[in-house]
Amino acid sequence: MKLRKEYLRDGRTVAVTAEPLDGDRWRVRVGEAVYEFHAQALGDGGVKLAPVGQEFERSFVAYGAAAGKDYMVRVNGRTHRLAAPAARQSGGGGGDGTILAPMTGTVLEVNCKPGDTVAADQVLVVLSAMKMEHKLIAGVVGVVQSVAAKAGGTVDQGAVLAVVEAVAVTDES
Amino acid sequence: MALNPPFRRVLIANRGEIAVRISRGLRELGIESVAVHSDVDERCAHVLHADHAIPLGGDSAAETYLDFDKILAACKRSGAEAIHPGYGFLSENSAFARAVRDAGLTFIGPSPEAMDRLGSKKAAREEALAAGVPTTPGTEQDVGDQGLIAVAKQIGMPVMVKASAGGGGRGMRLVEREQDLAEALAAGRREAKASFGDDRMIVERAVFPARHIEIQLIGDRHGHVVSLHERECSVQRRHQKVLEEAPSAVVDEALRQRMGECAVALAKRVGYDNAGTAEFLLDDQGRFYFLEVNTRLQVEHPVTELVTGVDLVHLQVHVAAGGRLEQLLAGKDLRPRGHAIEARICAESPEQGYIPASGLLRLVREPEGPGLRVDSGVYTGWDVPPFYDSMLAKLIVWAPDRATACARLSQALRDTAYLGIPTNVDFLRRIVDDTAFRSSRLRTDMLKLRPELAAGPQEPPEDLALAAAVLCQAVAPRGAGGGGGGSGGGGAGGASQGSTAVWSDLAGFRLFEGSR
Repeated sequence: MKLRKEYLRDGRTVAVTAEPLDGDRWRVRVGEAVYEFHAQALGDGGVKLAPVGQEFERSFVAYGAAAGKDYMVRVNGRTHRLAAPAARQSGGGGGDGTILAPMTGTVLEVNCKPGDTVAADQVLVVLSAMKMEHKLIAGVVGVVQSVAAKAGGTVDQGAVLAVVEAVAVTDES
Repeated sequence: MALNPPFRRVLIANRGEIAVRISRGLRELGIESVAVHSDVDERCAHVLHADHAIPLGGDSAAETYLDFDKILAACKRSGAEAIHPGYGFLSENSAFARAVRDAGLTFIGPSPEAMDRLGSKKAAREEALAAGVPTTPGTEQDVGDQGLIAVAKQIGMPVMVKASAGGGGRGMRLVEREQDLAEALAAGRREAKASFGDDRMIVERAVFPARHIEIQLIGDRHGHVVSLHERECSVQRRHQKVLEEAPSAVVDEALRQRMGECAVALAKRVGYDNAGTAEFLLDDQGRFYFLEVNTRLQVEHPVTELVTGVDLVHLQVHVAAGGRLEQLLAGKDLRPRGHAIEARICAESPEQGYIPASGLLRLVREPEGPGLRVDSGVYTGWDVPPFYDSMLAKLIVWAPDRATACARLSQALRDTAYLGIPTNVDFLRRIVDDTAFRSSRLRTDMLKLRPELAAGPQEPPEDLALAAAVLCQAVAPRGAGGGGGGSGGGGAGGASQGSTAVWSDLAGFRLFEGSR
């Protein structure tokens, strides 16, 4: 069965397709590039990959699993977290002014209120999770539009804690 | 040491990997293990491993693993005669140790009196000074924010501000500028209050550059204390250890002996009678300064076990039951042999400021091979709860020499996969493969000085990674949900359905029901 996925690489969408040939051979297109692999499922969730027709090329064992909306793959000793183009994820202070909880935790401090003008590195919310304190910064220069976080409250990963509307910064000189 | 089991049944007041490790040790001694667990931990690895399991009710640490009354009640109900506290939670709580003793049970750890004399950094510094152990300049008293700031200015920047009751880096901060002192004290007090219920702080001169060297001690209830030599834990991030090894590449026999003698003198002075660790900073002139004593089993105890051949959990149980070290260690050559390194595998993103993660582990593959030990608290399909520590497992290697141990650890990390949530596996491998680590040029602030080790490579994933991702889904579609790994387990996918298959597959496991 042919499989097609899209992933973000360096900010650009790359289409990746896998098309079964005969036996354990697959043709894989990554963007414009075309590859052929022998691919065999292993019992432990891994997949053995060997480039076709290249006797002395290394083969690899890859492990893959979904991670939320992303897909994680581990190959050649490195883990890659691949995001689909639509799934925009941010870990708080992502730079678009939306402060998201990077993990489930308890809000210790809320240092802003709607209408405040904040600097990009200003700490807006302090979160406690996994026994540590985490400072969440604005990420942009702007004006606080809304604050959903309440000190003492529990928040889930990905919850919107505050929203800052960015203002254009002009060079003073 | 073919001794009779000193207890019939022992309760483990902890969770995750350390509770599994203790359960193993108990069963090797012929002792039944009793697990306790929070609601979310009902299927945690330690519950699956133990002979009996008792629910505590609730999820937060405060209402479960930190609740004296619930744990003592569970102990009574299970018929356990002793409690092993592991590390963290109640392990360094002398009031708990006292409550255990008052209930007629045995606490597998030092006496509450010894804990009190070493438990706070302040008390420990005073005992160290009295025992002739070198300490850093600083104050043993919380003299209030203004007073502490004055002390800091007097001893000179940089300084460490620390929680008086501290441990594990919580409440501790390095402060380099005088104007940052007030904020560091305020944040430290908050963390200390939350972690230890005690917000007192102290200030000490920061030793720079420094290596973290600690001495493993074991004492018995007959006045004997033995040094099991040093571990080096210089690779730290925000005062939490990342990699630990034994022996240290920079500790020669003479220094080993001097540090061991200091640690033993301090332990004997307070009547120390179980496993403990004296921590020191070693500067680049070979001078060492006492930091604190951890009055418990340490996370990194396995590296000592691998190089000395002793089982610290076995020893802890025997000395708690009154065993004598001269018998327990008779005929053993305790000199360090070969080299061991431990890597702490945590659910966190070093690439994104070490943000901790929780969630479903869809695929777990732990490495195998000669010289490898994996102390794990997780498995494929385990949903890592957000309530506790982020450490998932420890990977420990042994080899005849340090270079081989580094190579072995690097390859073992290559063969490791924890997928579904972010982990620090790639980060650990970057450090192990780094030239500074390989040549043992270590210092406690090396990760701060080398942010690229946490940040990781910046180049986008190569075509191979994208091709592998799609082929994994095409060839092993069940792998996307954690498949493989035998019958019934695959694709459990976070839903609690299907759990019965996991339970029924576990030979020998039974829920504890009623008293016997």
